[in-house]
Amino acid sequence: MILIYYYMMAVCVAVIGKDNSPKYIKCLDENTALQFHYKVHTTIDIIEEKLNVGNKTASDVRELFLGLLFSAEDHKIFGYATNTKIKFVVILQSTNTLLRDNEVRTIFKKLHAAYANAVCNPFYVPGDQIKSKLFDLAVMEIMGII
Amino acid sequence: MRSAVSVILSSPVPDNKMSHPDYEQTAHDHAALLLLLKPIGTQIKQKTVARLCERIIKSGSRFNVYDSTVGAREILARFVREHPVENNDWGEFQTHRRLLGLITFGKYDTQTELNELCRLHETLKVKYGATLYDSRAILLGPVESTNLNEPPKSFSTPSNFKTRAVFYADESCPDLEAQIAECLNSLFWILESKRLERSREKIDRVSLLLAPFEKKDFIGLDLESRNNKKRCCGRITKHLGDLCLQAGLPGDALSHYNSAASILQAVNDWLWLGAAYEGLCTASALVLYPNMCRSLPLQRNSSLQEGSPGKQRRGSQAVTLPTPPTIDVLKASMPHILPPEEISKKYREAIIHYSKYQNAGIIETEASFKATRISIEQNCTLQATSFLNNVLFINLTLSEQEKIDRFTTLSELFTSFGFARKASFCLRLAATRHVSQNNPNPDWQQCYNLMLQVTSGFKLSLDPVEMPSDGQRGWPAIQIQVINELVAAANRMGNPALATRHMTFLLQTMFNHLTPQERKDITLQLQAVSQQCEGAPVPLVLDSGTVIPPANLTNIPKTKSFTLKNLQPHLQPQKVERIKEDHGPFLFTPINFGSLERKNTSKSKMDYLWVEGDICEVSMQLINPLPFELHVSNMRLLTNGIVFESIPETITLPAESGPIAVTLAGTPKEVGDLEILGFSTHTLGVKSNCRLRYMENMPHPQYSVEVVPALPRIDVATSLPQTASFSSGDNIVTSASVTLYGGESSECTITITNVGQVPIEMIEISVQSTLDAPTESKIFNWSDENLKTQLPLQPGASASLTLYLYAVVDFLAPTSRNEISSSAYLSQPSSIMSHSGPSSLPSRLSSPSHHTKRQSELTSSFRSGLSSHSGHSSLASTRLSKLAVPLHASNIIEGQLKIKYSGDAGLAAGYCRISSVFVTIEMLPSVQITSWDVLPAETPAQFYLVLDVTNMTNHEMELHYTQTKCIYMEGREPCRIPVPVDRCPLNKLSVLNEGGDSAELERICAEHIASLVDLRWQLLGIESSGKATLSGLTLTQDMLDLVRMSPLQWEITINDIAVKAQDELTCGLGECVSVGVGVCNALEHSLSDLILSINFYQDHQNGVNNYRLDTRLSIAGANKVMLPTLQEYGRAYHECRVVFFTAGQYKIDIQCSSRESTPTALAICSELINAGHTWRYIPPLEITVGEC
Repeated sequence: MILIYYYMMAVCVAVIGKDNSPKYIKCLDENTALQFHYKVHTTIDIIEEKLNVGNKTASDVRELFLGLLFSAEDHKIFGYATNTKIKFVVILQSTNTLLRDNEVRTIFKKLHAAYANAVCNPFYVPGDQIKSKLFDLAVMEIMGII
Repeated sequence: MRSAVSVILSSPVPDNKMSHPDYEQTAHDHAALLLLLKPIGTQIKQKTVARLCERIIKSGSRFNVYDSTVGAREILARFVREHPVENNDWGEFQTHRRLLGLITFGKYDTQTELNELCRLHETLKVKYGATLYDSRAILLGPVESTNLNEPPKSFSTPSNFKTRAVFYADESCPDLEAQIAECLNSLFWILESKRLERSREKIDRVSLLLAPFEKKDFIGLDLESRNNKKRCCGRITKHLGDLCLQAGLPGDALSHYNSAASILQAVNDWLWLGAAYEGLCTASALVLYPNMCRSLPLQRNSSLQEGSPGKQRRGSQAVTLPTPPTIDVLKASMPHILPPEEISKKYREAIIHYSKYQNAGIIETEASFKATRISIEQNCTLQATSFLNNVLFINLTLSEQEKIDRFTTLSELFTSFGFARKASFCLRLAATRHVSQNNPNPDWQQCYNLMLQVTSGFKLSLDPVEMPSDGQRGWPAIQIQVINELVAAANRMGNPALATRHMTFLLQTMFNHLTPQERKDITLQLQAVSQQCEGAPVPLVLDSGTVIPPANLTNIPKTKSFTLKNLQPHLQPQKVERIKEDHGPFLFTPINFGSLERKNTSKSKMDYLWVEGDICEVSMQLINPLPFELHVSNMRLLTNGIVFESIPETITLPAESGPIAVTLAGTPKEVGDLEILGFSTHTLGVKSNCRLRYMENMPHPQYSVEVVPALPRIDVATSLPQTASFSSGDNIVTSASVTLYGGESSECTITITNVGQVPIEMIEISVQSTLDAPTESKIFNWSDENLKTQLPLQPGASASLTLYLYAVVDFLAPTSRNEISSSAYLSQPSSIMSHSGPSSLPSRLSSPSHHTKRQSELTSSFRSGLSSHSGHSSLASTRLSKLAVPLHASNIIEGQLKIKYSGDAGLAAGYCRISSVFVTIEMLPSVQITSWDVLPAETPAQFYLVLDVTNMTNHEMELHYTQTKCIYMEGREPCRIPVPVDRCPLNKLSVLNEGGDSAELERICAEHIASLVDLRWQLLGIESSGKATLSGLTLTQDMLDLVRMSPLQWEITINDIAVKAQDELTCGLGECVSVGVGVCNALEHSLSDLILSINFYQDHQNGVNNYRLDTRLSIAGANKVMLPTLQEYGRAYHECRVVFFTAGQYKIDIQCSSRESTPTALAICSELINAGHTWRYIPPLEITVGEC
């Protein structure tokens, strides 16, 4: 697993609330953080569009992974939405052309699990910013920092 | 989509590339005839041109032409206001890019002007000559011409003017539409003829059609090769398709495109293959979505704008549009039509092919936009997004303006399908392009305007009120950057007011998201900016009409609490007369109507009153969150309703200081309801209106308080020293204290000064204390009349009032006499003399030890003057003692002298103010009567009240107890004094009727004694004097008999000589003395069953009375007689004789007793009183028997 992350280095991980405000955002390089803020922010449009599609079949409803949202020259942006409309966005460097859907899905599953643990904290108020060390650790692992 | 081949396939030919992208194109424009609308000359007004253009576009965008073979053909026309001549070069590649028609507008007044217009028109014709089919000149002249197409009589067109002109005299141009239709018709037919001409050409003989940049590539190539032949053939087929499409034959066009695509694919002619695909797509879209085109009536302002040709959108479709035909029906007539899902697929292919040529970048861009519009029409937003995303990757060397246009168009398209975030992102890029370094003429104004439009996409509302305070709306990091950019743009375009406004907004709304360092930086920037232009809480209106709502700094300083203050207690207005309102029989209703709502509204409405013209205050707590000193000036209250004059306040808050209390004050200038909405501040160079409504953690959005008319104010001073400390009560303004010995009087002068602005017309004085009313009235006394004469009191004037103070103490020490009296009352003692003689007194005199016990009792028990009769009820006495603890426990009496005053309007409105003077009287004991008894006096009209008096002070005392008699007492010395008192006359007792009881009798007697006995004491050391009263004496039945006049009047005769009590009687031994006793009933009712008895006894003066005198005297006649009844005022007489055998002193006890009644007898109350009672002749007669 660790190897996969190493190859698929995420440069930005974001959690977006159901009101589309950021609940958590972490970038590999804090100096260019704003650029990623913009990128994640604009993908909300696409996520919303994907979630809004009315003609989803039953199997589609259960599919939380939204796939590739946006592909830029240097980055690929993937999305994932929980059933409670919490969105996860991961920006991967597209230098690695060997990106496979399954690997990205694994990242999101891990992120979802970490998120679920974070909000299970009885002191967490739904809708607040996520401030959890364990969640931080999980995100950093995804980003390959540790 | 991008491919590296593009570089290989096309060498850069910059001069040939189409440098004027038209982002507004739609797929339908492929089928339209292109016309240029151009005003010429300087005379014509923009407005006129705009109106004429609108009419032309409305009438001419879509028209039908009837053809004998096909029937009706729908032809589209596209009108543009600008057309770069270079774009015509691409006309071979896609025919709709050719400018086919020209319509000019001009106005002339003179012949020279007309000549100039004609010249300009011809110049334009030459400019576009390569492609132009036809042109019209619409000329507005001063006079009407008879023939529209001929100039008016006095004018003539130059000979080289070969254009068909239309001459109008006024701007209404009546048959403009017909003229345009005629022009369009002619254009169509020329086109149709060209199409037919082309279609008849031999395929193998046509020349190669070229895109502008290709010309160089084909130099030196073998034009005769098979490949090239095919290429020529494919391209001309595609070209035919274009013409068919323009000529209203989409079916033919589709088949041409289809065959062209297959030919061109074979020869790898990618560019033209892309064009063929695009043709297929556009033709299909035209058929499938006929309503997508722009031929519809548009709103006036958005129709045509300079520099953006044909800026028209789908979306304003009229209801009357034909419904698009279904694909199945169409498939039958047009076999090559693409189904909807194929269109975008084919378009994608076309774009990929275009992308292989760097010089076709603009074609690719335009194609992407067109494809997007089709996708939008198909409702495939993700498809549309991907087309638009592609646009960003097309590498074009564009001018900054074109880049701006590109981003603006992208933004518009994103907006059109609801991708507000992407739209804002693009628009922001457009804004930055306006001021980028590469831009030769940066335009900060434009940048700012675009930035303003960006805000909505980032969920940024420029009204701080709409921004949630917790910031959970939008992305703070981005929002902060956007605001910063707005600030920068505003600064650079030289509008410091806007910069200040946005900076204020940033601080206000984003404060929680800024790091402390950022906060500091922004605050300092704001201070700098606001020096150029001070921020004020007014909306700013831009030139474009946009209104920037005011931004108020409510976070700096942060308000922790905001509370209205009541006036000081003594200044609070009170209702003069509280009329009890009739609330019905129920004081409480459990029914709560809309409980929540009511609670809220009632709380924000203050339950106290403010007074016009008085300073009213609001207290606040402020927090400075900034790491440096904050100077807040000009703080005032914001009010609504009546006029309120606020007093500006200035404070300096230390860095990061906690809650600091600030009081804002002001004066209401009118009467009515005052609403307090918040306060205004001036800090960091920004004026803010901090309204409670928009502040966090404020319980109420506003407060309202009622203001009553102006009331006077007084200052109160007393002549007595102030109390060191007094229990602070309501509205106490000053205090007075005095020490008095019991029975002493004092005066206190109270000076009332009117310090207000209103004359005092009413003053009412009252006293409030824990005492009961009678005691209170004894202690405090004053003259209301005296005060009334001093009214009205003008402002500045003063009045004085004398308060008389009297120390009321109970001079009687509580003793055990209650038990004595009650037992004496309840059971008539058989021993008759035991309680009345002097011998009985010592038993009730105080021993020293007893005395101290009483002292302690004094502090714990209380006896009012009226309650002595209730001695048998221990319950009652304990209750009383509880009630009266304050009076005697400390001997300090506290009272409040309430001065209720009002005047002028306030009085008219029924309000007054109450100031209180706290009066403390320390009461020291002076004299105390520890016990008392009554003794018969020498005359029957009087008796002696014997008092044991103790001087409770440490001073020497002089006690006057009658007019003439006085006694000196040392400090703490007890003393016994006899006071002669007149007996209580029967007429005082006459109020006692048959129903009266003994308690009442006792009370009357006690009062009688109190009124007659006058004990005046004087302390020799300290020159104070006072008067002790005896109210509250308790008297036993036997005492009562002495105190009151006997109801039976005695007439005693000795030897027929009437005697008086003090008479000395003598007689000799053996002498017969006749004793006559007459009894008169002085009562108003008759007495019955009386026994009159005459007894002789000898008083041994040692407490022993000897009644056994059988050997010493003899009585002749009955010494006891029964009197069955004695009528009211009736008289009975009895006589007997006595002979004394031995010498000595004898006493005669004459008494009259009523028969004892048994408890079982049903006796009425009055009988009970008299029953078993003995009346005695007092003092007993004394007869001295001398030895003869």
